[in-house]
Amino acid sequence: MTLTQDLREALGDENVLEEPVELHLFSKDASLMRGEPSVVVFPANANETAAVVRIAERHRVPIVARGAGTGLAAGASPTQGGIVVVTTRIKDIEIDVENRTAWVGAGVINLDLSVAAKPHGLYFAPDPSSQSACTIGGNVANNSGGPHCLSEGSTTSHVLGMEAVLTGGEVVVLGGAAPDPIGLDLKGALVGSEGTLGIVTRALVRLLPIEPDVRTLLMDFATVEDAARTVSDVIAAGVVPAALELMDQEMVRAVDNWLGAGLPIDAAAVLLAEVVGETEGVVAQSELISDIGRQNHATGVQVAADDDERALLWLGRKSAFGAIAQLAPDYYLHDAVVPRTRLVEVMTGIYGIAEKYGLTMCNVFHAGDGNLHPLIAFDSSDPEMNRLVHEAGDEIVALCLKAGGALSGEHGIGIEKRDLMRASFSELDLDAQARLKEVFDPAGVFNPTKVLPEGSRCFDFGGVRRELPDGVWV
Amino acid sequence: MAWVTDHHPTRSELDACVQCGLCLPACPTFRLTGRETASPRGRIQAMDAVAKGLVPVDDTFAGLLDFCLGCRACEPVCPGMVPYGRMLEGARAEIEEQVQGRSRLSGLLAGTALRSRLLRKLSGWSLAAAQRLKLTSLSPRRFRRLVAGARDLRQRGPSIVGYSSGEATKVALLAGCIQDEWFRPVNRATVQLLERAGYGVEAPNDQTCCGALAAHSGLTAQAEQMSSQNLDAFAQFDTVVATAAGCSAHLREAGWEGTEVLDVTVAIARAVSEGRLPELPPNGKEIAVQDPCHLRHAQRVVDEPRQILVAAGYTVVEIDTVGMCCGAAGLYTINQPEASAQLGEAKAQQVREARTRLVASANPGCEMQLRSYLDSDYEIRHPVEWYAEAIGSGR
Repeated sequence: MTLTQDLREALGDENVLEEPVELHLFSKDASLMRGEPSVVVFPANANETAAVVRIAERHRVPIVARGAGTGLAAGASPTQGGIVVVTTRIKDIEIDVENRTAWVGAGVINLDLSVAAKPHGLYFAPDPSSQSACTIGGNVANNSGGPHCLSEGSTTSHVLGMEAVLTGGEVVVLGGAAPDPIGLDLKGALVGSEGTLGIVTRALVRLLPIEPDVRTLLMDFATVEDAARTVSDVIAAGVVPAALELMDQEMVRAVDNWLGAGLPIDAAAVLLAEVVGETEGVVAQSELISDIGRQNHATGVQVAADDDERALLWLGRKSAFGAIAQLAPDYYLHDAVVPRTRLVEVMTGIYGIAEKYGLTMCNVFHAGDGNLHPLIAFDSSDPEMNRLVHEAGDEIVALCLKAGGALSGEHGIGIEKRDLMRASFSELDLDAQARLKEVFDPAGVFNPTKVLPEGSRCFDFGGVRRELPDGVWV
Repeated sequence: MAWVTDHHPTRSELDACVQCGLCLPACPTFRLTGRETASPRGRIQAMDAVAKGLVPVDDTFAGLLDFCLGCRACEPVCPGMVPYGRMLEGARAEIEEQVQGRSRLSGLLAGTALRSRLLRKLSGWSLAAAQRLKLTSLSPRRFRRLVAGARDLRQRGPSIVGYSSGEATKVALLAGCIQDEWFRPVNRATVQLLERAGYGVEAPNDQTCCGALAAHSGLTAQAEQMSSQNLDAFAQFDTVVATAAGCSAHLREAGWEGTEVLDVTVAIARAVSEGRLPELPPNGKEIAVQDPCHLRHAQRVVDEPRQILVAAGYTVVEIDTVGMCCGAAGLYTINQPEASAQLGEAKAQQVREARTRLVASANPGCEMQLRSYLDSDYEIRHPVEWYAEAIGSGR
């Protein structure tokens, strides 16, 4: 039988798409890279996903997992064709209130989990800016972060266990509710593996109690340097806010043009800081942060008056990427991480690069943990522009790495940042990662060519390895 | 030959979407299916693929857009401010032009029947007669939901078309097509409230259907004819009030120069806040408020219906913080009965959980949809009717 006949038999006709226009809509995520899937399927659970994996291996076609398609590094773009496995039908939520955990389907939207947990006084801490749309499966695959990961850590700190489909269609449960499960941390290997080792169908996540009090501050500055210095000083003062975000003027203007929230559009940069905890501590910390802001020449410090105002500020922050649409049809961004002590010089360098290439640049990022998001707004239909943008991007990454930074904070590597892995890792490092991939994915079907640059494995035979006769030494 | 009409989605409209995906969770059909093909971003990508000549305007493309409710819940959440509703109408105009052999039912209803005063009257008479003779269960299956959700037309009173306060007239009233035949008490309550607020009212005789349903169905020529007839009828007025959210949304977007179109909830809430109409003390009763999509999402009107209900003395119970579509969506109940039923039942369940039998809805389609899924002891009316009754000028 053909690939789609097998899939139709396993999942039912209604869960298999193959019309050209339908395939086109699954040919990319929120990044710029487009692929050409052969077929799109919607399994309902781990067993159906396992059937898809077995079919993929039998037909030797790539299998690319996709949640809501909000990824920014082409992790869910089927650049090698094959089967796109959409997890949105796997959307059960089982909350264990006493143990403050939940088993969550890969297709559950991140924010829906916190909404479901709210009546129990709980929430799920990782809050990517796309949290209203992105799925838990994607969060696990990319080890996603978010503004509030500054104090609580990124997704990996919140995943206790998972149900995953591995090679051969084997369904396994890795990790568990116990605080320190015995054996190797295999779940740790799958978190952040971007669908290259297997497909996570459900995750056992940690839920946190909702904090008793919260205060959100908006500080505006006449220069980006003043805002960046405030960040460094806040951290140096020993305060770890729940979130500490920076937006520059271009970004604030685009956001406020849509939101109409009266954000300070004349400021060169704004800082959004949030502190949580018992009221006394919250008041003390917010005063300390305001003082540090003023010492660094903050031109205005406002505190959100109520939950509505607070929600509006966060809506503005979390909608920033989409607001780029007002400037240009496409955007390209990196999410390198730099030491917070070097923020001021790195930011100056990044603006310098944009100016050198004559590009429209916005910055909106998790300043508290030094996770930059320099965005270049451009029109991808112009090939020369594409070249310039990627050249500038490479230069920005090189600058960040030179400052002692890391390639990616939370968006994943996918394809877009794959070839920059060599700047971060040695040949040996890459070979070790490629060997791990080989152990999990001997058939080479799980999201091939993602994350690891070509030739990562010494003697790289990838998917053809199995076709060699037994006993052949390679 | 990607596009053939002047209405197609433009390059700058298509480029306004950076595919961030923030619209997905707001979209009722994405929520139902979890599919990109049933999401605003996906539909825009499909339009983009047509524009680039990658796929034709065919049955598959039409199917993707037919499944869209046109609720426009994607618009307020879009930081790129993509004009999705406009693009949808443009793409549907292309489908009407290019795809052969599609059902003519929508065209007959939205493009022809609603424009004809005679056919509209006939719809009112025949439904009233069927209700009198208890024959409503014999209506064609596709229309059964509509008929089940309709008001009792046996004592519906006179139409207000042709009415004039007789004094210096300030405000004109769009009576609507179905609104004028099936929801006359809403129009009469509107006239009474506007007059009590000190305005003269006129409902010009030569008005017609606003053309919203025709435009939503891609029947641009018919929609434009209706629009121009209405422009002739209303151009002399500074203010036009429409009593159905779908009509006010459509007319506001027509951009009539020198004439301000207001939804009736906005006009009445404004009169209350200006002290022209009274605010009653709390009456201790709770009322559930349902937001029509073309009020909440298309016009961003959220507070006004609530202000009116509070002025009427009611305590407002929120049923849905995001304003998910009830599935009525113009002709959607007829064309997509399955998805419409899932959304209708979900909305009815939200109302049941509000634990009050009083419901306010500012659009006729939503009202009928709610009534057809709720028990008969729920009282569902337009906010201005609840208010008019409370201040004692309702009939």
